[in-house]
Amino acid sequence: MSVGDVAVRATDVWKRYGGGLTQVDALAGVSAEFGKGRFTAIMGPSGSGKSTLLHCLAGLDKPSDGKVFLGDVDLTTLPEKQLTHLRRDRIGFVFQAFNLVPTLSALENITLPLDLAGRKPDQDWLTTVVDTVGLMDRLRHKPSELSGGQQQRVACARALVSRPDVVFADEPTGNLDSRSSGDVLEFLHRSVREFNQTVVMVTHDPTAASYADRVLFLADGQLRSELVDPTAESVLDAMKQLESRHDTADELAG
Amino acid sequence: MFKLGLRSVLAHRLRFVLCTLAVTLGVAFAGGAMVFTDSLSSALKKNFAVSTADVTVTPASPIQTGTDRPATFQIDLVDRIAAVPGVAAAVPQLMVGNVQILGPDGKPLENYGLTSFGAAWPRDPGAAPFKLVDGTAPWGGRQLALDESTASRAGYHVGDQVRIVTPTRAVTATLTATTTPAQAGAAAGAPLVSFDGATAQLLLLGKPGWTSITVALEPDSDPNVVSKAIADTIGDAVKVRTAQQVTTDGEHDLDNTFGGFGTVLLLFAGLALFVGGFLIVNTFAMVVAQRSRELAMLRAIGASRGQVTGTVLAESVVIGFVGATLGLLVGIAVASAIRFGYELLDLRIPTASLQVTPTTIIACYVIGIGVTVAAAAPAARRAGKLPPVAAMRDDVHVPERSLLVRVLIGAFMLLMAVLFFGIGVGAGGLPGTVLITLGTGTAVLAIVMLNPVISRYVVRALMYPFGRKAPVTLGRRNAERNPRRTSATASALMISVGLISGLLVIGASVKASIDKSLVDALGTAEILVTNDGTPSFGAEVGDRTAKVPGVRAVQRVRQQSGEVGRTNVQVTGVSDGTLAGPVTTTFDAGSAAALDAGQAILPRNLAKTLKLTVGKPFDLKTTNGTHRLTVGAILAPNRQLNAIVVSLPTYGTLGGSPSDNLLYVEVAEGNQVAQVRTAILDQLRKDYPTIEVRDQEAYAAVAREPVNGVLIAVGFLLAMAILIALLGIVNTLALGVVERTREIGLLRAIGMDRPQLSRMLRVESIAITLLGAFLGLAIGVTFAAAVQSAMVDDGLAVRDIPVLQLVIAVVLAIVFGVLAAVWPSRRAARLDVLQAIASE
Repeated sequence: MSVGDVAVRATDVWKRYGGGLTQVDALAGVSAEFGKGRFTAIMGPSGSGKSTLLHCLAGLDKPSDGKVFLGDVDLTTLPEKQLTHLRRDRIGFVFQAFNLVPTLSALENITLPLDLAGRKPDQDWLTTVVDTVGLMDRLRHKPSELSGGQQQRVACARALVSRPDVVFADEPTGNLDSRSSGDVLEFLHRSVREFNQTVVMVTHDPTAASYADRVLFLADGQLRSELVDPTAESVLDAMKQLESRHDTADELAG
Repeated sequence: MFKLGLRSVLAHRLRFVLCTLAVTLGVAFAGGAMVFTDSLSSALKKNFAVSTADVTVTPASPIQTGTDRPATFQIDLVDRIAAVPGVAAAVPQLMVGNVQILGPDGKPLENYGLTSFGAAWPRDPGAAPFKLVDGTAPWGGRQLALDESTASRAGYHVGDQVRIVTPTRAVTATLTATTTPAQAGAAAGAPLVSFDGATAQLLLLGKPGWTSITVALEPDSDPNVVSKAIADTIGDAVKVRTAQQVTTDGEHDLDNTFGGFGTVLLLFAGLALFVGGFLIVNTFAMVVAQRSRELAMLRAIGASRGQVTGTVLAESVVIGFVGATLGLLVGIAVASAIRFGYELLDLRIPTASLQVTPTTIIACYVIGIGVTVAAAAPAARRAGKLPPVAAMRDDVHVPERSLLVRVLIGAFMLLMAVLFFGIGVGAGGLPGTVLITLGTGTAVLAIVMLNPVISRYVVRALMYPFGRKAPVTLGRRNAERNPRRTSATASALMISVGLISGLLVIGASVKASIDKSLVDALGTAEILVTNDGTPSFGAEVGDRTAKVPGVRAVQRVRQQSGEVGRTNVQVTGVSDGTLAGPVTTTFDAGSAAALDAGQAILPRNLAKTLKLTVGKPFDLKTTNGTHRLTVGAILAPNRQLNAIVVSLPTYGTLGGSPSDNLLYVEVAEGNQVAQVRTAILDQLRKDYPTIEVRDQEAYAAVAREPVNGVLIAVGFLLAMAILIALLGIVNTLALGVVERTREIGLLRAIGMDRPQLSRMLRVESIAITLLGAFLGLAIGVTFAAAVQSAMVDDGLAVRDIPVLQLVIAVVLAIVFGVLAAVWPSRRAARLDVLQAIASE
C-alpha cells in the first residue's frame, strides 16, 4: 500500500497504565495501516486492547509511545484544541450506546458536527445519507422516540455527514438485535462500497466482522493475525486459534 | 437508615456543599439577629431597666405621647403626693427629648439616630434618672451638665462653653458637671443635657411643668399600698407605678425598640431560607433520580417504603444540622461585628458579653433542619414510591406527580391573585395595599406552580436573540429539558428580582410623588424654614424672619399628635387662619374661612376613614384632654397638610406648645429668592445655629433623602437573597454537569471544543437567569404599579417606572448568569472525554 492510499497509520503504538510493579501494557507496539475506502474490523478477546487501539487511532486517547497519523497529521503531537477540531471535521464516530444528544431531534443530531463547526450541510449529500439509512420519516423525532436500531442508524448518518477521512465504530451493534445489527452493518458496508468511505470498527461479533474487507486480530495488546475478505466462519476459526494460542501462552507463563 | 443517609452525604460531598451553604446563610441571618438583639437588650436591661424610685407618678395622658412632647403636670401635685401617708419624699422630674447639642465646631453632634434629652437637675439625687460623675450641679441660665459619654465624644471638659439648641431658643452655657445614667427610661444611654429646674422648664417646655414625680417611701411601707393611696388621692389625671412596674415597662419598651429591628432581620432570614429552599429541593430531586437504582435495590432486598424515605430524610437532617451549626457560628460572628461597629462609633451603648441564649440555639437548629427536611420531603416521598423492580431496569424514572394538578392549582391561585389585585386597586389606601400584597404573594406561588409548564415557552422567547448556533441551541434545550428544576431555580431568582424591582418602582414613585406634591403644595411659599434635629423652634424665629427685607409673609405651622376614636392623627395649627396664604390648597368642600370660625379642616382620606362630612362634630383627644370640634372643610390630598388643620388660637386650646415646626415664607415681588434666603439665614444663623432655610428644591431633596436610605438598606439585604438565588443557579448547572457527564463526553468526542462547551453552559445559565429576572420584573412592576394606584390619595400620586434602573437590573442578571456558569463550565471542561463516555 502506498502512503497516498492510507487513511490512518499506527507506528509502534504503546499504551501503558500504572507504573512499576502494577504497570499494564494495554497496547504493546502495535503497527498497522488502514487503507482508504476500506472497511477494517478489529477483533480480539476482552482485554486485548482493541478499544484502546481504536481510541488512540481516533485521537480520543494519547499513546504512551509511538505515532498515529491521520493522513499526514501526527495525532500524538496535536494540541487538545486542534485534536478536537480534527475529530469534528475529519473523523466520524459511532459508539456502542448513548450516541445521541437527547435534547436534539434526529436531524439535529445528524448535523451536529457541522453545526459545531459552523458549516452548512451539503443538502444533496445529507439527503443521500439520510435516505441510505432509511430515516427520512423519522428526522423530527427525538432519540427517546426512536428504537435502538434507529438510534444507531442516526449515529451512522451523523458519522458520515461531514464526509470524514475515516469513521470509527466502537461495537456499533453491541446493544442491538440481529436484524437491527444487520441494517447498521449493511449501511456501513454500503458507505464503503458506494461512497468510498473508510471505516474502522471494533467488534467481538464474528458476523459483524464478516461485513469488513479485512479483520485484524489483537491479543494482549499485540497484533496477532490478519484475515482478508473474511466470512463469519473464517473469523470464528481465527478467534478460536487466537484463544487457544492465548491459553497455551498462559499455561507456559504459569 | 440514618447511617446510610450519612454515608450518602459523605459520598456526594460536593453536591451538598451548596445546599449546606444555603442553609448556613439563612440561619446566619436569623441567628445573628437573635444574638444581637438579645445581647443589646439584655445589656440595656441590666444597666438601665431598674428604677431607683420606689414609686413613680406620671401624667395620665389621654393619648400616647412622644418623648419630644411629653405630657406635663404642675408643681402643686408634688405637695399633695408628699402628704399621702407612707410617702417620705416626692421629687418632681423633667425630662424631654427635644434638644440638640452642638460640638465645639458649632455643628450638631452626630447621634446615630438616638434622641438627645434635656432634663432638670434632680432635687434629690436618690431618685434621679442620672447622677453626678464630676463637677458641680448647674445653676441658672448660664450653666449646664452633660452626660460623660457625650462630653468625651464631643471633647468637652468641665469649664468649657457648650452651645445647645432647645425648642425655645439656643443658649451657650458653661459645662459645670458630667453625669451618668442611673435608671430606666427612654433616656438610657442617650445624650443628655441638664439644667437647674427653672432653667430646664424655660428652655425645654417654655412654660412651667414636670414630666414625672419620683416618690421615696417611709421605711416599712408597702409600695403597692402607697401607690394605690396616691392614685386615690390624685385621681385619674396621673399614672402611679411601683419600681417593679417601671422596670417591667422599661424592659417592655426596650423589647419593642429592638424587636422591630430583630423582626426585619428575621423577615430577611425567612426570605433567604425560602429562596435557599428551592436549591435544596433541586439537589434532592437530582440525588434521588441519580440514586434511584440503588434505592430500588434497597427496596428489593427488603427495605420498607418508610425506610427508603427515611434514608433520604436522614441526609437532609445531616445537611440541616451542619448548615445550622455553621449558620449559628456565622451569625454570632456577624453579631459581634455589629457590636464592634457600635463600639467604634463611641456611643456609650452598653455592650455586655454576647448573649447566645438556648432559645437562639434551639431556634437556629429548628429553622435549619426544619427547612432542609421540608425541602427534601417531596424527593424523599418519591424515593419511597420507587418500585423494587426498578433495581433491575436500565433506565429508571423516578415517579413524579403529574403536572396537571400543579397547573390546576396554579391557575386557580392566579385567578385569586387577579381578584385580590382588582379588589385591592379598587379599595385603595392601606387596606387596598394589603390586598395587593396578598395578591402578589398568591401570584408568586401561582407562578411557582405554573412555571414548569410555562417556562419552556418563556425561555424560548427570551433566548430568541441569542441565535441558533449549536452551543446556543444545546444550552437552551438543556434549560428546557428538566422544567421542574429550571423553574425552581428561576423561581428563587424571580422572588429576589421581584422584590428589588418592586422596591425600585415604589421608591422612584415615592420620590416623584414627593417632588410633584411638594411643588403643588408649596405653591408660592418659595422658602421654608425648619430646624433639623429638634422638630420645633421658638416663636422668635418666625418673628425675626418676618422682619427680613423682601419677605412678604410668614406662615407658621405647629404640629402635635392626637386621637380621634381609635385613629391616631396629626394636628396642625396654622397662623392667621388663612390657608390661602403661601400654601395653595384645593378644597373638596368648605373653605379656609372655617379656620377663623374655630372649625377644623380634615384631609379627604381621614374624613373618609372617620366618615365625617362638613358640619359634623367629632371628638379629638390631645395631651390635655378631649375636645369637641366641628368639620369646617375637606381638603384634597395635600402632602404638606395631611393632618387635622386648625387655626393657631384653636391649636393653643388643644394643648399645643407655642413653638413652630415649620415656617412658610413668601417672597415679596421684585426680590430674588436666593437673596432673601441668604438674608434670612444671616438673620438667624448666629442665634439658631441648627435652623435651615431652604428653597423648594432643597426642601424636596431633604424629603427624598430617607427614601434613598431605605432603598439602600433594603436593597443590600435583598442582594443577599439574590446571592442565594445565584448559588441555586450554580448548583443547578453543576448538578446538570454531573448528570450529563456521558453526554458531555459524547459532544466532546464528536468535536465540541472547550469554548463551545462553556458557551453551552453559559447559555443554559443565562436562560434560567433571564427566566427568573423576567418573571420577577413582571411581578415586581405589576405589584408596585398596583400599590401606586391604590395609594394615589395617600402620598403616591405619581407613578414613576425607572426604566433605566430596571434595564440595568436585567443586564446585571445576565452578567450574574454568565458568572454563575464559570465554575460549572470549568468542571465540565476538565472532564476526560473517554472517562466521561464510559461513565454510568
